Amino acid sequence: MKNSIIIIIAVLVLAFSFFIFTNASFFVNTYSKAKGNIGEIAGPTLKLIGKPANLVGYLFDTYINLIDTKKENVELKKKLDILQLENQKISEFDKENKRLKSILKLAEQHPNKMIAARVIGEDIKNWFRCIIIDKGRDSGVTEKMPIITPKGLVGQAVEINKWHSKIMILNDTNSSVDVYVEGKNTRGILEGTGQTTLKLKYILKNDDTAIGDKLITSGKDSIYPKGLPTGIIITVNRNNSGIFADIDVMPFNNYKRLDEVLIIKKQ
Amino acid sequence: MKISAYILTGIILLTIESSLLSLFPVEFFKPDIGMPFIIYTTFFLGPLPGFVTSIFISIFQEILSNAPHGSIIFTKISIFILANFLKSKLYIDSKYSFSCICGGSTIIESFLFLVLSVLSKGDTSNIMNVMFNAIPNAIFTGFVSIFIFSLLEYLNMKFLSKA
Repeated sequence: MKNSIIIIIAVLVLAFSFFIFTNASFFVNTYSKAKGNIGEIAGPTLKLIGKPANLVGYLFDTYINLIDTKKENVELKKKLDILQLENQKISEFDKENKRLKSILKLAEQHPNKMIAARVIGEDIKNWFRCIIIDKGRDSGVTEKMPIITPKGLVGQAVEINKWHSKIMILNDTNSSVDVYVEGKNTRGILEGTGQTTLKLKYILKNDDTAIGDKLITSGKDSIYPKGLPTGIIITVNRNNSGIFADIDVMPFNNYKRLDEVLIIKKQ
Repeated sequence: MKISAYILTGIILLTIESSLLSLFPVEFFKPDIGMPFIIYTTFFLGPLPGFVTSIFISIFQEILSNAPHGSIIFTKISIFILANFLKSKLYIDSKYSFSCICGGSTIIESFLFLVLSVLSKGDTSNIMNVMFNAIPNAIFTGFVSIFIFSLLEYLNMKFLSKA
């Protein structure tokens, strides 16, 4: 009897989740509130866990590479390890310094228009491409704000919590950006594929596009400002059927390597 | 007591996973760490703990993912209902059979998500991506389940034996 009641409740929850998925407004509002409240704890937890996790990442990048070195002398090796770790730490700091300088330079060009944020997590499902940053509602982040790095466009903010936000990356299958081919009067839609490369759609076969052409945002989708670099064309196939060419694009940003990003405030 | 300990462990592991994933270039193998907790509680503790765990784990997974609202709750609750019906048919005698069931459940979850997306919204953009990742995810989930099973058994023996 008790089991049957639980199964009935589970089926009701199943129906409830189905209505949320299909965007039934009452269910979505109720669920969003509940999720938002639970989500408040996720940001600080991610930040807290992110610190030791960074250390693990650092050790993975540095110390693991040293495991295979010959065991000449235990004391000497220990000293050598410490020195090498310190040395790599310095080069790591140097890299971070350069990265932060470029972020700062970009932010200084547009004071009061940008918010710097650190990447603290990633989507736990590989069906979607999303990163989590440490700035949320409290820092003035709102939905659909564009996210960039000095290299170019990263994506847009899609879900904002008090202390953290979710960013949909260009590679996500739900992402599409209106772009221009730089220096040419060709316009298309850049869509995510869920893989490393993107697809540039609606470019006619007789349009003047070639491998190596750079893409910039057109500003016509009312989300991304005009002129942000997005990616570079890596293949152009005009032998397919239909009137449009099949074009692959490599984004300028590798989202797996992002540490810091800039959020462009909407005016 | 046991359920809260399992849910807390699951949530902490999910948060660590999300944090670590941003550091390592792992793209094709993202284990579903929530799945072993749902299977374990449903098979060994009964329907109520299984249901509560499914709810909490799925909501937390949605918080840490860009998945559409309700989709992970739908798939996880479906897995719970399925596991509850198959409980008397399947017998978990070791961590390896547990691992196989978790891997299988991950594949079923991928297909449930696809069915949900295609039938309710007609969204076909993500089909290839989900199908491409279904098998690697299942293999890795199965692999990780072995350790999670051992961890839960250890917690049971060490701390939760009287709970």
